[in-house]
Amino acid sequence: MNLNKPGVNKVEVKQFLGGIHVPHYKSFSEHKAIKETSLPEEIIIPLLQHTGAPNEPLVKVGDKVKAGQKIGATDKFISAPVHASLSGTVTAIEPRPFMTGQMIESIVIAVDKDQDGLELADNDLDSVTKEDIVKAVREAGIVGMGGAAFPTSVKLSPPPDKMVDALIINGCECEPYLTCDHRIMLEMPEQLLQGVKLLMKVLGVEKAYICIEDNKDDAIEAVRQKNDNPNIILLRMPTKYPQGSEKHLVKAALDREIPSGGLPFDVGTLIQNVGTCVAVYEAVKFNKPLIERVVAVTGQNIKEPQNLMVKIGTPLSHLIAECDGIIEEPAKVVVGGPMTGKAQETLEVPVVKGTTGVVVLPPEMALEDMEYFDCVRCCKCVEHCPMLIYPNQISIYCEAGMVKEADEWNTMDCIECGICAYVCPSKRPITQLVQLTKPLIRDLVSK
Amino acid sequence: MSDTEKLVVSSSPHLKDERTVSTAMRDVFIALMPITLVAIYFYQIYAVFLVAVCLITAVLTELLFRKMLNKKPALHDWSALLTGLFVALLFTATSPWWKAAIATFIAVGIAKELMGGLGWNRFNPALFGRVSLIILAPLFAYVDGWFAPLAVNLGSVDVFTQATPLAMLHMGVEMPSIGQLFLAYPGGALSEVSPLALLIGAAYLFYRGHINWRIPVSILATVVVLTLIAGQNPLYHLFTGGMMIGAFFMATDWVSSPFTDKGKLIFGVGIGILIVVFRLGLSPTEGVAFAILIMNAFVPLIERKTSRPQFGKIKAVPVPMAENKG
Repeated sequence: MNLNKPGVNKVEVKQFLGGIHVPHYKSFSEHKAIKETSLPEEIIIPLLQHTGAPNEPLVKVGDKVKAGQKIGATDKFISAPVHASLSGTVTAIEPRPFMTGQMIESIVIAVDKDQDGLELADNDLDSVTKEDIVKAVREAGIVGMGGAAFPTSVKLSPPPDKMVDALIINGCECEPYLTCDHRIMLEMPEQLLQGVKLLMKVLGVEKAYICIEDNKDDAIEAVRQKNDNPNIILLRMPTKYPQGSEKHLVKAALDREIPSGGLPFDVGTLIQNVGTCVAVYEAVKFNKPLIERVVAVTGQNIKEPQNLMVKIGTPLSHLIAECDGIIEEPAKVVVGGPMTGKAQETLEVPVVKGTTGVVVLPPEMALEDMEYFDCVRCCKCVEHCPMLIYPNQISIYCEAGMVKEADEWNTMDCIECGICAYVCPSKRPITQLVQLTKPLIRDLVSK
Repeated sequence: MSDTEKLVVSSSPHLKDERTVSTAMRDVFIALMPITLVAIYFYQIYAVFLVAVCLITAVLTELLFRKMLNKKPALHDWSALLTGLFVALLFTATSPWWKAAIATFIAVGIAKELMGGLGWNRFNPALFGRVSLIILAPLFAYVDGWFAPLAVNLGSVDVFTQATPLAMLHMGVEMPSIGQLFLAYPGGALSEVSPLALLIGAAYLFYRGHINWRIPVSILATVVVLTLIAGQNPLYHLFTGGMMIGAFFMATDWVSSPFTDKGKLIFGVGIGILIVVFRLGLSPTEGVAFAILIMNAFVPLIERKTSRPQFGKIKAVPVPMAENKG
């Protein structure tokens, strides 16, 4: 790689402690170009698909809606409005299955056969102000597209006492199987870089770091070729799970450690996913709301793995049909990556703004919760835990319902990356035990 | 919905490493094969008989105790077989077989199953069983007569009447060469015949990632330093008695050693100090076994005192731009 061109850096990143090399399984879809999805018959738009307050519906059953029309919003600060991703008729506003397994109030739209294109503006990016950008991001309903789905407009309005000097763009995509961010970087590097510049403008930061794992060198090269700003620095990160976790990304990229219980603001950084950057660009340039995203539909058990450009609200069943279906049943359909994603009970769950991928696992990998045994203190989890806590002790206390002890061993610091349960030779469901115990610890602490 | 039957639901992560407790225990079993074979080479039918007695006793004891405790049999995890083999290796070839059987019964039944099963035993089961027999020796002086009719005559025993190297060291008599001790020198327990064979097994365990360098290295280094200070040849101490099997196989037992990195070092240094104290000051044999068991008792305390700070708790983080802008 030519290190003299603008925007190219030397590989100088710190390794974080812990972490593990998991099999990548990226080959199923990493070389498949992003493809438009055919029209689904019905779309389901959950009113709450971000972290924060739910939206109120702005339409009622029977209303005609147009693609891009705002159909759900709220005044609450931590929220993001939702839009109709296709034109059609509202047929129901009712709780529908959501990817977390809950039922979420959703607007169901019967999709019209004939779709008009979206009306797009063409704004001048040089003359937009900070306020314009934040407003456009808010109006477009943009949330973090790496999976956490935190409203981006809120992130762009840091508390006044927090100063941000470095923007980090997360292109690590450290979860196995997933390839949507990889394809975005390969196919939309210009939009990505424009989005990064807009974010730098809002935050008033001088430097932005685009972090990409070294198993995606083609993406690094694609972004490098389009980069004309020497303050946008490409960092080639070692491939190691969970490199894309925000705490570990900041540690590796800038050698700053987000304090326990803290946020990236606390160390002067802000992290955005590459897909979010593209969405920000489209929102500011074209006033385009977030109504579609790239979803990797992949795994050993899907006939034709693809990276699909999917309208928000499209049911998983439509995506799976688009990829020629499941090869063998029983299958496990995971939304998100296999380390942290959720296995689905039904394929009527819609794609939402935070859906990164749909991984279809074959019967031999689609194990139910396995029989597990007592901890034999082998220390594999201790060795690999990226939060440097002691998952072995935590799992024992969580299993025994010893909430106070679980808290003393720093259960609340767990990022639920799944490494401990992955390596455990006793097959203990450590991550699940932590997930079940965290609310109990919150109750205990608040008392 | 119709597709619920065809979809499998479970909690994340949806990938699992292939390694299990059974494969790990089997690996330790494999790692003990070189020393077992060397022991069989020297002691022939005696070694075979002793190992067989311990393995069978271990399996029967585990079945009995798990039945009594209303637990499912767990022979598939290999831990009972492994404990049985360890106990056998801790006895001399001519030990009465019932002593080895009782030691195995105590190891598997009391030190492991009654403590809650694999994972909950505070003490290394095999050492616990072996040391129980040593402590109960006066009792056996009484009852030996009852067991005498059960003795199995396996033929002549004249090879084994020589003193063990460790006893020779203690008595100050002429020692065999270091090289001979390292390769193979019969005398003492089955596991004491060949440090080389144990090291080959230990190398396999390192290769498979089952043991951590911290415990064996800290034990051996402590012993070397202290015996040098005491004016003795450390190599004689390393290659005699239970030093090798203790440092590489017993002290590194997952369940009864600390899970913190610093704790492993403290644990190892503690064992090293105790071994030298026992060997130089007290009886010439079994110092390693007592040292490990004593340090086993300190493991929870060591873990509490040496747990690492979690991510984000290391120290206040400097924010570089505060100086530039503030």
